[in-house]
Amino acid sequence: MADAIDATSPDFREDRERSFAGWLLVILGVFIALAGVAMAAGGIWLISLGGSWYYLLAGIGLAVAGVLLLFERLSGVWLYLAVVAATVLWALWEVGMDAWQLLPRLLALAVLAVVLLFFIPHLRRRAVARRRILHETRQGMTT
Amino acid sequence: MRRAKVICAALLFAAGQPAMAEEPGDWAVYGRNNAATRYSPLDQIDRSNVDRLERVWTYRTRDLPPEDLDEKWAPETTPLKVGDTVYLCSAMNIMIALDAASGREMWRYDPEVSTDNIPYSASCRGVAYHAQPALPEQRACRERVIEATLDARLIAVDASTGVPCAGFGNNGHVDLLVGMGEPAPGFVAATSPPTIVAGVAIVGHQVLDGQREDAPSGVIRGYDAVTGELVWAWDLGRPDETGAGDTGPYTPGTPNAWTTFSGDEELGLVYVPIGNSSVDYYGGNRSEEEGNYSTALVALRADTGEVQLAFQTVHHDVWDYDLGSQGTLVEFPMGRGATAPAVILPTKAGDVFVLNRRTGEPLTAVEERPVPPSPLPDESLSPTQPFSVQMPTLAKPEIRERDTWGISPLDQLWCRIQFRRANYDGRYTPPSVDKPWIQYPGYNGGNDWGGVSVDEQRGILIANYTDFPMYNQLVPREEADEQGLVALGDPGGSTESAGTVPQAGAPYAAAIRPWRTFLGMPCKRPPYGGIMAVDLESRKVLWDVPLGTARRNGPFGIPSMLPFVIGTPNNGGPAITAGGLIFIAAATDNLIRAMDIETGEVLWEDTLPAGGQATPMTYEAGGKQFVVIMAGGHHFMETPIGDYLIAYALPD
Repeated sequence: MADAIDATSPDFREDRERSFAGWLLVILGVFIALAGVAMAAGGIWLISLGGSWYYLLAGIGLAVAGVLLLFERLSGVWLYLAVVAATVLWALWEVGMDAWQLLPRLLALAVLAVVLLFFIPHLRRRAVARRRILHETRQGMTT
Repeated sequence: MRRAKVICAALLFAAGQPAMAEEPGDWAVYGRNNAATRYSPLDQIDRSNVDRLERVWTYRTRDLPPEDLDEKWAPETTPLKVGDTVYLCSAMNIMIALDAASGREMWRYDPEVSTDNIPYSASCRGVAYHAQPALPEQRACRERVIEATLDARLIAVDASTGVPCAGFGNNGHVDLLVGMGEPAPGFVAATSPPTIVAGVAIVGHQVLDGQREDAPSGVIRGYDAVTGELVWAWDLGRPDETGAGDTGPYTPGTPNAWTTFSGDEELGLVYVPIGNSSVDYYGGNRSEEEGNYSTALVALRADTGEVQLAFQTVHHDVWDYDLGSQGTLVEFPMGRGATAPAVILPTKAGDVFVLNRRTGEPLTAVEERPVPPSPLPDESLSPTQPFSVQMPTLAKPEIRERDTWGISPLDQLWCRIQFRRANYDGRYTPPSVDKPWIQYPGYNGGNDWGGVSVDEQRGILIANYTDFPMYNQLVPREEADEQGLVALGDPGGSTESAGTVPQAGAPYAAAIRPWRTFLGMPCKRPPYGGIMAVDLESRKVLWDVPLGTARRNGPFGIPSMLPFVIGTPNNGGPAITAGGLIFIAAATDNLIRAMDIETGEVLWEDTLPAGGQATPMTYEAGGKQFVVIMAGGHHFMETPIGDYLIAYALPD
């Protein structure tokens, strides 16, 4: 018989049940995704009134990042940080180094970025576990 | 060279000073003198020792809103000090005298004004003092204190005892409602002290905003300060009639003058800043006579009420830019050592006009600049408005989408959408009904009832201002009727004048709101208020800083406790001294501070137990200099209400 999937292996268990960190990520991911959707929707309205394009673009980025995080994808963090980086450039272009004016544009995003950084180790482990299970599955299929 | 200039200025200042011997240790008039300079020559407290200033006594007026009252309270009081006594009024017009050194109550007179008479808020900015030195010392009411009340009475009491003056009007009381029709309580209220020039107490009053077009008259009247007899009435509906002894009826709906006036005893003139016509945001039905004097500074002869000069600061005002600031009278430097007798007039719209106070001609250039026309079919606005171009402005540059604010990207996005949805074309954007419109400066200014201060020795003008846009919209009459908006005087009407105002008689009601998000945070970026110093000689800004910290403001009204200087809306003026200090509270952070007049640096501050929306004052008693402020709070400014009169001095 092929090397069956070992239901007792820790990697298998991690794949099937969410850990506490995993559930936090659900909340975070949903929050970021919803914020992204709201931003994109408002962004469309703003564009229709002749306003800035930033919110639609950033909103899409955040919505996708949020969904990725929901699925415990490390790429969600990288996409989120890319949105933050683009936002910093946009904010400096709009208002320069004015602290009060940068606050609404950057503070909330920065706080979330710091929180997300703490999840990177967990997301790396999930990525490794996913590769291992995929590898084992392939191995199981070929023998 | 500079010293020569100072000496020259001092001599000219002495020469041109409205003739009234001012005791250096006194503060005998609301604005320190009839010129309203709010400047005291005291210098015991100066920039080197002000950081040691401490509270020495606190007096409680015990006049607080009753439990069931919808908290429309804003005392806004600046006391007087003459001789050994401090005189003030409380929010509901209780007249009080205190010993100036100890704060001990000497007497108290309660005219029993009902809270039904509260218009916009219970306010009494101050009282007036009048003496007849020629009378024998023991004569009753040789020195008197005069007050104008919320229920439209003029009251005179003996300054030593608080007993009403028997020879004044009807046992100390004069009825200001004579000739006004029969307005509902709260419609006509006096909130400012009378101004006494040439023995005549000149009185205006507030007519409740936004209610109806046939609102009570804005008539200005002069009463004999000794007998209370009506000497003259100036009815803006028939402005060329001298009105001697005219008891009305006065023309309804004319602009009113609710703030404090200033006076020049030598010229025998009283300077009256006039408000807007009813209704505030629509002028299609206004008469021509009203039109000439609304939102204008008018000088009347104190003895006859004849118009001497008039200068309109907003033509056909539909922005509620009524003049709230006192005119400050100074000898204004005109270059090469010359000066001219001037009145400095700051406005809510942000201009600082400087006019010759004899002739009304501008001393600094005024340009009539084109402004947008009205989008309404039944309204016709002035194609231009006057801009005071040679003096710094208190109005800030036009808002752009990027100047919106919030605490996160989402609420800022909301503000950006609101910005794009509204009509906005800079200052004097006309009221509109199809879309909201942004009014900036808002109806709180610019500069408001606090006025400005001038140090003529240093040649510096100090002006604080609010920097907060309004997000307004006109409401068609049918919709207003559906909402049940009823004017005061009709069944169901009330003295509510915030939010949406009925404007009965006009085709539109008006929804008036500060521009904020659903979180209660401002939609425009900080600062929301500031204070600036202007050099009178060069007419340049010496410094301009935000006024007020964020400590008491935050989302959902929850205090953030953050000590950062953010600049807040402010009401109340500065008191300045020869010691080089500006004393000012006014911001919504409940702090009173002392600032360096030459740099704007804050050198001392104290946390007040209630809002500090009042102008402080300073005096000398028993060899000590005191700084006193009324911490009474302000309902519209959302600061805590209180009844504290607090005195500061240096420790022994």
